Amino acid sequence: MKAINKMTMAAALAAQVGLSGVPAQNQDTNAAALLRRISELEQKVKILERKGELSEEASVEKAKTTPLVTIGAGGLQASSADTNFVFALHGVLQMDNRTFFNDGNIQGNDSFLLRRARPIFSGTVFRDFDFFFVPDFGGSTVQIFDAYLNYHYAPWLQLRAGKFKVPVGLEQLQADRDTLFNERSLVTDLVPNRDLGFQLWGDVAGGVVSYAVGVFNGVGDGRNTSNADFEDDREFSGRLFFQPFKKSKAVALQGFGLGVAGSFGNTSSNATGLSATTGGTLPGYATDGQQQFFAYNPTTGTVTANGGHWRLSPQGYYYYGPFGLLGEYVMSSQRVSRSAAPLTSANLEHTAWQVAASWVLTGEDASYNGVTPRRPFDPRNGKWGAFQIVGRYTELDIDNDTFPLFSNPLTSASAAKSWSAGLNWYLNRNLRLNASYSRTTFTGGGDAGTTSPATVTRQPEEVFLTRAQLAF
Amino acid sequence: MKKTLALLTVLAATLTSLAAKEFTLLNVSYDPTRELYADFNAAFVKHWKEKTGETVNIQQSHGGSGKQARAVIDGLEADVVTLALAYDIDAIVEKGKLLPADWQKRLPHNSSPYTSTIVFLVRKGNPKGIKDWDDLVKPGLGIIPANPKTSGAARWTYLAAWGYALKKNNGDEAKAKEFVAKFYRNVPVWDTGARGATTTFVQRGIGDVLVGWENEAFLTLKESNKGEFEIIAPSVSILAEPPVTVVDKNAKRRGTEALAKAYLEYLYTPEGQEIAARNFYRPRLDAVAEKHAKDFPKLNLFTIDEVFGGWRKAQKTHFADGGVFDQIQQGNR
Repeated sequence: MKAINKMTMAAALAAQVGLSGVPAQNQDTNAAALLRRISELEQKVKILERKGELSEEASVEKAKTTPLVTIGAGGLQASSADTNFVFALHGVLQMDNRTFFNDGNIQGNDSFLLRRARPIFSGTVFRDFDFFFVPDFGGSTVQIFDAYLNYHYAPWLQLRAGKFKVPVGLEQLQADRDTLFNERSLVTDLVPNRDLGFQLWGDVAGGVVSYAVGVFNGVGDGRNTSNADFEDDREFSGRLFFQPFKKSKAVALQGFGLGVAGSFGNTSSNATGLSATTGGTLPGYATDGQQQFFAYNPTTGTVTANGGHWRLSPQGYYYYGPFGLLGEYVMSSQRVSRSAAPLTSANLEHTAWQVAASWVLTGEDASYNGVTPRRPFDPRNGKWGAFQIVGRYTELDIDNDTFPLFSNPLTSASAAKSWSAGLNWYLNRNLRLNASYSRTTFTGGGDAGTTSPATVTRQPEEVFLTRAQLAF
Repeated sequence: MKKTLALLTVLAATLTSLAAKEFTLLNVSYDPTRELYADFNAAFVKHWKEKTGETVNIQQSHGGSGKQARAVIDGLEADVVTLALAYDIDAIVEKGKLLPADWQKRLPHNSSPYTSTIVFLVRKGNPKGIKDWDDLVKPGLGIIPANPKTSGAARWTYLAAWGYALKKNNGDEAKAKEFVAKFYRNVPVWDTGARGATTTFVQRGIGDVLVGWENEAFLTLKESNKGEFEIIAPSVSILAEPPVTVVDKNAKRRGTEALAKAYLEYLYTPEGQEIAARNFYRPRLDAVAEKHAKDFPKLNLFTIDEVFGGWRKAQKTHFADGGVFDQIQQGNR
């Protein structure tokens, strides 16, 4: 409009100055022509403005239905415009190295390995229904680790069904990409890994209280379900976790969390194969180097799970600034029976505990969900990511009543104690390098023998572990 | 036992009656009917409350007729649709399968409780001297008609222009196409609906003539300064019959079948027809039409059936992808 006003003035001026000496009639004609021209231009401007408005309206309308696709540190995500439908692709790739020292010449344990190679497919349909599917290609066979549906009515009320982590172990529940060390502590030997079942869960008041209660097929200590259940009994699990100061103004206390978890089930004797508390040559409990130091391997007969199995785990953590501390204690009590004389049963109660501490040297915040570097790795610009030192002490104690009827004390350890120290380098949110040293000592075992656990418990385990991890 | 049963029956009846007291109805309508249904809904709510004791909340949705039909097909849970043309409801039948194919027979006058037509709205003093359709195709004139691809009014406009040209040229389709091509060459802005076109012409001051709904033209006169605009009735125009119907599957699912039927039937009552006339829609009821005869210009109107063989044929020939309108647009680029 300013332009139009200027033109109007210019036209008037031209009519006054430029046309002096022109007959009045011609001046009127020229002025009329100029006015017509101005009117035409005014219309053109209005038309352009209106087209702009309509174009913007059309864009707004289109945005309501245009799907959104994003790709970045958080992976690939596509969602409908109303976000009622979402599909996301994430992944975890872990390339490890294990180097053992003074291991009594055990063959084949020094190795590079693809510890985890997991594409993670997740998403939402119809706003309230989430799905999660995680196969793993890292081992010698492809396994399905997670496969579940989740209905979220509200953050405080959700229902999950499928295969997923049983809500017991604090470190076990931590995402694989965020654990402090390559391997979880000895505590994790006693808690269930993943199982098939249903779980009601939620975060109340923004996570001040978290609860989970579920019913599952039942799975042995440290085990994943084999996707089949050979018995009719179920296992019930539950967890209650408090972060009482999460919303408080006391910043130093916001990262404090304390809880308790447990499980109870009944495992009936079944000779063809049980969720793996059976022993013999099957894996029992393993060290940081993933070597078996205990098995249900009596000199005669086999051992089966036969009766009640309960677990109890007080647990907690504290994070404040770069400092992190995590601790948990687990009791796992399993009734077992022998298949050969003497035909006897016993309730065996094993315990384990750990304390793990961390400090982010570069000042970023430590958390249960990992570290996000403030200055992602970019050496050309003097940015090196984040560095974190980590330390852990953990013990696992086997019930004395286990020996000798349910396990050979000459080969299986009755206790293991482990300390670890390491350095984690977070190049950015997606890339991380770990290096740690772990030393585990054993009580009992260590006799002659050519297989684990004898070969493992003969000397302390000293292992240097490294990892290159890509997670998105 | 008998006492318990009686008590339970009374309780159930009470709960049922309490539960049935309040209903919500969604009326998905075309662009310019906002004022009409604001008035009508208030009257119907009052009538229904007096008749049944039930409270009705009526929600309205407005937009270009074609767009609204697509919204219902895509899941907008309309109990009733009151659209600009029968073809849009036929599309809901075919693609949404939400009501039967013979829906138009369920209410009088082919389910059109009121009619309208296409007229011209010009600025004060009619500076471009527009009298009839021929004046609209003069070079340099700015016509604001909305986009036939999305607007019901715009489709009626197109057909009115075509019908006029056919009559003038003794049924020569090629000349009609040429006429309509010239018509659309004079369109500077394409709004998606009738109300948007009114905004462009009236509020934004674009164009020399708004070609669209008669009721919209009268509403503009009512709401603007006296004399700011004038209605020009062309020599020939089309009888537009905006239809109404219950969307059976939605109404059944929502338990509003009886209410939705009563709502539409109320449009045909004297009060409903008065409201239509007050909002510048031509009523069907003879008594009301006679009463308001002077409010509407006398026009020579043809029907879509007479000239085009009905909406299905007209839609397929003119407005489908690759149809005559698309060909005209291609030629005008």
